Amino acid sequence: MDSDKKKKINRRTFLKGTASTAIAGSAVVTAGCKAKGLLGSSEAFALEFQEYFKKHYRLMTKAEREGTVARLEKLARLKQNITINVDTTEPVEKVLYGYAFNVTRCEGYMECVEACVKENNLDRKSNTQYIRIFEMEHGQMSPDQGDGKYFHMVPAEGHFYMGVQCFQCQNPPCVKACPTKATWMEPDGIVVVDYDWCIGCRYCMAACPYWGRRFNWNQPEIPKEEITKEQHYLGNRKRVKGMMEKCTFCIQRSRKGKLTACAEACPTGARVFGNLLDPDSEIRFVLENKKVYRLKEDLGTDPKFWYFID
Amino acid sequence: MLSFIKDTLLWNLTGSLGYQIYLGLLICLMLIGVYGYFIQFKLGLAATNMSNIVSWGFYISNFTFLVGVAAAAVMLILPSYIFKDKDLHKVVIIGEVVAVGALVMCMTFVFVDLGRPLQFWHLIPGIGQLNFPSSLLSWDILVLNGYLALNALVPAYIVFCHYQGKEPVGKYYKPFVFLSIGWAVGIHMVTAFLYQGLPARPFWNNPLLGPRFLASAFAAGPAIISLVLHVVNSRMDYKIDNKIFNKLRIIIVSAAIINLLMLFSEIFKEFYFPTHHSQSAMYLFFGLEGHNSLVPWIWTAISINFIGTIVLAINPFKEKQIFLIPALILLIVGIWIEKGIGLIVPGLVPSPMGEITSYAPSSVELYITVGILGLGMFVVTMLLKPALIIEKRYEKK
Amino acid sequence: MKRPTSRKSLFCILPFCIILGLLVLFPVLVAFSNQQGVASKVKKATQKLDKQGQVKISIPVPKNIVKVNEEYQGGVFFTEARKTEIKRFRCSSCHNNKKVTILNAADISHADIQVIHGDKGKPLACDTCHSQDDRDFLVTSKGSKIDLDHVYDMCGQCHFRQKKDWIGGAHGKRVTYWAGERVVKNCTSCHNPHSPRFEKRWPQTYSVPHN
Repeated sequence: MDSDKKKKINRRTFLKGTASTAIAGSAVVTAGCKAKGLLGSSEAFALEFQEYFKKHYRLMTKAEREGTVARLEKLARLKQNITINVDTTEPVEKVLYGYAFNVTRCEGYMECVEACVKENNLDRKSNTQYIRIFEMEHGQMSPDQGDGKYFHMVPAEGHFYMGVQCFQCQNPPCVKACPTKATWMEPDGIVVVDYDWCIGCRYCMAACPYWGRRFNWNQPEIPKEEITKEQHYLGNRKRVKGMMEKCTFCIQRSRKGKLTACAEACPTGARVFGNLLDPDSEIRFVLENKKVYRLKEDLGTDPKFWYFID
Repeated sequence: MLSFIKDTLLWNLTGSLGYQIYLGLLICLMLIGVYGYFIQFKLGLAATNMSNIVSWGFYISNFTFLVGVAAAAVMLILPSYIFKDKDLHKVVIIGEVVAVGALVMCMTFVFVDLGRPLQFWHLIPGIGQLNFPSSLLSWDILVLNGYLALNALVPAYIVFCHYQGKEPVGKYYKPFVFLSIGWAVGIHMVTAFLYQGLPARPFWNNPLLGPRFLASAFAAGPAIISLVLHVVNSRMDYKIDNKIFNKLRIIIVSAAIINLLMLFSEIFKEFYFPTHHSQSAMYLFFGLEGHNSLVPWIWTAISINFIGTIVLAINPFKEKQIFLIPALILLIVGIWIEKGIGLIVPGLVPSPMGEITSYAPSSVELYITVGILGLGMFVVTMLLKPALIIEKRYEKK
Repeated sequence: MKRPTSRKSLFCILPFCIILGLLVLFPVLVAFSNQQGVASKVKKATQKLDKQGQVKISIPVPKNIVKVNEEYQGGVFFTEARKTEIKRFRCSSCHNNKKVTILNAADISHADIQVIHGDKGKPLACDTCHSQDDRDFLVTSKGSKIDLDHVYDMCGQCHFRQKKDWIGGAHGKRVTYWAGERVVKNCTSCHNPHSPRFEKRWPQTYSVPHN
């Protein structure tokens, strides 16, 4: 009797176990299918399948890069019905980008913030902004004592304004921290992210002393008519949830000789952008003739973003 | 081999009604976790309450605590293999099984915390890119997997030998046991270095973090192992001597006292001459700008840590479970709060640009955590029950 | 029994030694690595670069530009023309010695121009800058005529510090491109010459609080 009971209990448990495993298993499979996205066409799925297995950007051959660019452009046409141009422009020779911010001239207009959001296809849903402008009281130097969330007529009496963004450190702690080498510093000084290689562990975000990196907590939403169609693989192309991203000194623009969107948008000319290795550049003039300083200099990150006063 | 697997499965699935209900409960917990993860996979990590400021939250807090629990198996292995303690030698297997369970939970916590878990293969050296030796996370991945292998394969070999009625060959497994002693200290130091190596976070960037991790791990880990031993003693057919509990108690109390000493050292540094770098500690202990959600938690954690330590040290009523078990639970919960949420969130607040925000885990995070807890307990049960049956059979012979 | 003990302790100490060794080696390697800081890189970069050929893509030059009279550290540079932006240039089409024959002359006179320029004690008057004899030009305090396109020479009389900075690149803005021919905005591209101070305004956007 006892052994019979034991056998019965055994069978019952076994069936219970199998049933729950089956439910769990099917839930996972459905999750997987749903997660792949409700793809309209199998062609898009095939392209995404190929994209899943691609290599790290730095290890790709020229043909592989062209292949992935073609897939990305095709996917944009299939899924969003837009025509984009994804660049893989190499860094310009003998260029090291530098940036200077004139603290006397910034009036807190935040035109730079909006221009950056539009140029870099930043997520509108979570109000992602690479640039933050801080309203500081006279006598303060560090943005963490300022107010980053002001919204009133500017400039306010007794205050000055300074902007922060990724400072493109020459000794970046985020690059050191990344476990998959998904972020690195390019030869022209820009610290970039291979979005598809990133696994989203967010260690780089903990490592950055300037709050320069952003994470896509949700699927980014950008209105179709506002998408910037000139894109760079390491810059403003479509990102999905779970990837890190950051300011790239508008790599899609700067490698073509253009100013960054923020430098171009500033109405007061508070932003100076150029080539540090060109002795005649404006940025070199600023560094040699103005009183410049960098934030958190004591951390040894060697940022390529200076502040100066008139 | 086949009969071993068959027997193991049979032992795992048979048992009293209470055991079946317990298994059913664990499966329910795991299903809650799967449900939560389904939501998170669909929505992205926005389903949690983490943000660009508090970029690591409940998952990583639990991961940090559990790596310590896993490392604490060394506190059983060290006395039994180096000091040849016969009593603790009997329960080493239980410690190793708890370590395996804790490690499985750790890895699962990291997996659910990733933004793109399907791309985990990017980490595998050879087919992906592992940023070794620069990135501390790469070190962590390697040492945790190595420790899991050590703690899973060595007991598996020993138990299998015992199942076959044979004596396990010393020279096959003993070197790995000694390796695992150093390795255990290694895994927890590496996990501590993950935080310690970031100059961007002054709350973490101090040399005491590594040793403090070890101290709190060697208090909370053996405490959990002690609780598991109490369960084994009362519910299973495996008697554990009071001497073992006493030895563990001494280990726990020593580690807990060192932990409190280190805590005092940290508090002194932050509050004797508060600087800008003490903002995180201010946020944790007193709240900043109205954000004080962590304040009751940390003060509770420190108090129950204290109370637990004192009760375990003084040991009133001499080994009566009724006082020891609550004291152990208080100690574990205190260290869990202080080393988990009380370490991760204040390290990230204020942000490097001075912004302050609150964090509390969302319902999705709680579902998934509960699921992973269920998974850990399931793994421990599945491994422990057959192992103890085999050990008991072997002892009888 | 002695050998097993030594082997045992070896295995126990070995991981410690490895980790200790690595941890000592690590900082030593980092300290002596050949990491060049930005400052040293910049100091070394003294060779002039080929500005036109640097970026492979051809950079369009805007049409309405004039060559600046002074050179900057890199040689010749250009600024935005002004005359084409002024709707009613030539001034002398009205301001001549003939009778005013334009309809609605009173409407299109410059009475709407508010001059908020200069100290409260010493405000600027129209004729401080505009030549009385030749309305198509500006005139300096010393009497030399300045073309409206080269208004920087005018502003630079008082604002000599800003002019020096503007020539070097610390004041003002480059037009669209950092590479190629240097084209910068003129003083009057950004500043209204009659009331040059920027007005108070609302910011273009705001940052969302994190809670």
